[in-house]
Amino acid sequence: MAQVTEQPRKWGMVIDLDLCTGCNACVTACAMENNIHYTGEDEVAYGRGLYWMRIQRYWHGEYPNVGPEFTPMLCQQCGEAPCEPVCPTYASVHSNEEQINLQVYNRCIGTRYCANNCPYHARVFNFFDYEIPAPMNAYLNPDVTVRSRGVMEKCTFCVHRLVHARIDADTQGDPSLENEVTTACAQACPTNAIMFGDLTDENSPIRTLFERSERGFQIMEELGTFPSITYLKGGGVYGGRD
Amino acid sequence: MITEPIHLALFEEDQINEAAEAISILRSQGVPDRNISVISGVPLSEHILGRPMSWSRVGLIGLAGAVAGFLAALAITYLPVLIYPLNVGRMPVFPIPTTLVVVFELTMLGLLISTLLGVFVETITPSYGPHGYDPRIAHGKIGILFTCPPEVDCESYDQLVALGAELTHNLQERKLWP
Amino acid sequence: MAAETSYLTGARADLEQSELAEEHLMLDPRPREEMNQMVMEAMTTTTPVYWAWVGGLALIVAVCLFGVWGYMTATGIGITGIRRPVFWGVFIVTFVFWIGISHAGTFVSAILRVFKAEFRRPFTRAAELMTTFGLAGGAMYPLIHLGRVWTFYYMVPYPNARWLWPNMRSPLVWDFLAITTYLLSSTIYLYLPLIPDLAMARDRTTGLRHRIYRLLALGWRGTEAEWHRLRKAINIFAFAIIPVMFSVHTIVSWDFAVGVVAGWHSTIFGPYFIIGAILSGVAAVVTILFVLRSAMRNFKYFIRPEHFDALGKLLLVFSMAWAYFFFNEYLLSWYGGEEAVQRILTLHATGPSAWVWYLMLICNVAIPWLTLWNRRIRRNPLAMFFITLAINVGMYAERYTIIPLTLGHQRMPFDWGIYNPSIFEISIAIGTMAMFCLLYLLASRAIPLIPVWEVQEGQMAHSLKKVGKAHVPSVTELE
Repeated sequence: MAQVTEQPRKWGMVIDLDLCTGCNACVTACAMENNIHYTGEDEVAYGRGLYWMRIQRYWHGEYPNVGPEFTPMLCQQCGEAPCEPVCPTYASVHSNEEQINLQVYNRCIGTRYCANNCPYHARVFNFFDYEIPAPMNAYLNPDVTVRSRGVMEKCTFCVHRLVHARIDADTQGDPSLENEVTTACAQACPTNAIMFGDLTDENSPIRTLFERSERGFQIMEELGTFPSITYLKGGGVYGGRD
Repeated sequence: MITEPIHLALFEEDQINEAAEAISILRSQGVPDRNISVISGVPLSEHILGRPMSWSRVGLIGLAGAVAGFLAALAITYLPVLIYPLNVGRMPVFPIPTTLVVVFELTMLGLLISTLLGVFVETITPSYGPHGYDPRIAHGKIGILFTCPPEVDCESYDQLVALGAELTHNLQERKLWP
Repeated sequence: MAAETSYLTGARADLEQSELAEEHLMLDPRPREEMNQMVMEAMTTTTPVYWAWVGGLALIVAVCLFGVWGYMTATGIGITGIRRPVFWGVFIVTFVFWIGISHAGTFVSAILRVFKAEFRRPFTRAAELMTTFGLAGGAMYPLIHLGRVWTFYYMVPYPNARWLWPNMRSPLVWDFLAITTYLLSSTIYLYLPLIPDLAMARDRTTGLRHRIYRLLALGWRGTEAEWHRLRKAINIFAFAIIPVMFSVHTIVSWDFAVGVVAGWHSTIFGPYFIIGAILSGVAAVVTILFVLRSAMRNFKYFIRPEHFDALGKLLLVFSMAWAYFFFNEYLLSWYGGEEAVQRILTLHATGPSAWVWYLMLICNVAIPWLTLWNRRIRRNPLAMFFITLAINVGMYAERYTIIPLTLGHQRMPFDWGIYNPSIFEISIAIGTMAMFCLLYLLASRAIPLIPVWEVQEGQMAHSLKKVGKAHVPSVTELE
């Protein structure tokens, strides 16, 4: 792959849990953007829903002071992803351009080892060929593959948008076009809890938040996966969760 | 082609001593060891019968196969990654521990398959010594095949019979494979 | 054998000898011709009951294995019970189970041969057949559980237009290489000692059987060079296939151990799985020996209570070794492991599927430890049959505990899930079981199951020696 930009980017995300309301707009936007199939109520009840982004909801407190905690959980695009070395056919590889984890549908033979090895349970599997009857197929995003049965899939940080932006920036000679790109979930979030940006850019606000926020933490940091997503939580208390 | 007639002296399965005696009788009569061939239904070591050790290159062939397997393993681990490098997280491009696993497996595979091929090739290629066979060998009998060179006078026949052998003269050479 | 005979008279010496002959196959030699005849008769006799079994098993294989597999290939993995987060279920459990069973043959024919345990002689071939057919069943599973089985060849290393080579860093590729190596090696190791017996069969059959045996026997005559070569090759194999056997199940265990999955990421998985495999395999050998002894003619001469006794002692030792490794893993996780692992241990023991965990402990530890001490139980083939069936049930439960139960209870409680195996997965597992039995049934009539030349070799090496006032069996080394 020829490198058309001057330097590779490292795309990252900051999710502010103090702002997340659990509205699921990000989930819906992701499903629309990435041609995610609808598996049906029974399948979802059994745990086979195809969610690239999901909202983990935990309850805390005792009645009458019960409150929910929402955590949007998606593929953390780990710097050292445990899903990558275990795929026998190189269907899960690390992108040198975008520094994210790529899922190559054509190479996937469906051993599902990557899904077992992901500590975030970010990967989902196409158990059947799911039907998209006309005229629903009109909503399909032409930039994104429609997956057949038997392949794994997961959040890609809307890599089609990233590649589009990079090509646009190169062909029009305007690098700033690349800085404006954002993912579907970040775009849809009503409270701007999800922020997306380039972590190699010193000027981007996301980099400051990612690296130095007092409320910042990474999920399952101790596993050494180096995720590209930092969560912010604390309500102002140093060190994160209250 | 052996034009001399092949003789077979058959001993019962528990007559190992008599068989060893018979071989020394033949040797004393002037029949060289290369004109004697012992066939049996159980492995009888050459020491037991007083025969020279036979040779086999199966060990060397196995070793060669192991080396071939080792090289194949290194090739398949390193060459594709050199040509088409793919980055997978938390692992260097040339990791040694994972290479060791692949190297071990393919080395053993090379060793074992080449041993089989060695046995196969050595078995079907022509062998020295008198060719001959009697189906009773599979019933445990010990058979001594020998040819008498013309300059040797084989008076030993009745000595062999005295030991308890069953003599067959002019054994037909049968093709056993394929 | 009680040492009551303080003074041996001629008559009492004879009695003791005949007792010994009845007890030990190696001290009860018969003419080779008679043993050949017994084995050939067992091989060539087929009864209507036999054909009924063959037909029934073939039907089960066709429907439960291939039929359901075809349906799954056409419809999708969704007909199984796989779900997020339990992406490996009964298929992988059964896969590990079969690979474990396949360690039987190598243990008996290689390790016992290396240690010169004479009691192995009559059943090395029966055990090796188990290895080959166990691997045949097990090797189907990496194909069965694939999401896109029609693209399985992506894992085969060959130059192709996709610029695609398998990822040598993945344990699944090591699996593929290891199982291929082990399957080929076991088949060859089955074949090499079979050559002299095939030559015997070649001489005693006609027609198609004769032609096939003739082709496979490679013109065997029994010359010194042939025996020397065969001996050398068998020795190479015996010593080489032991590390291969260890490596195969270690690599299968690394499918689990190299992951970051809580409860799997343990360095003890290698030896733990190997010991479990040997336990499972030797138990399966005993089960098969009971069936062979009951079903095939003349086998009561070859397989005697002394063999069940010896194998039973081995089973007790391996059951203790398994318990040692199990407790090792349990204690370390329980004492101060990651919280996620401690919760998994609690789930195993008290969760909705706790009965599987208890079944495992009862069958692998309690039953062997309570019964295999007793010599009378060990020498009773029927009792050993049931005990070893229980051991294999326990080993299956062990793999079930390790795989789906652990996967469903990882570090994020929101994503915990319970796995319900579907009828299709169970059907395929039953299908592979039937395939194993069917292949065994067919093989029992295709090749002689007893290595008669080895039995005779052993009988030649055994004799009764008078030591002091007693006659004791003694073995000489003929090699």
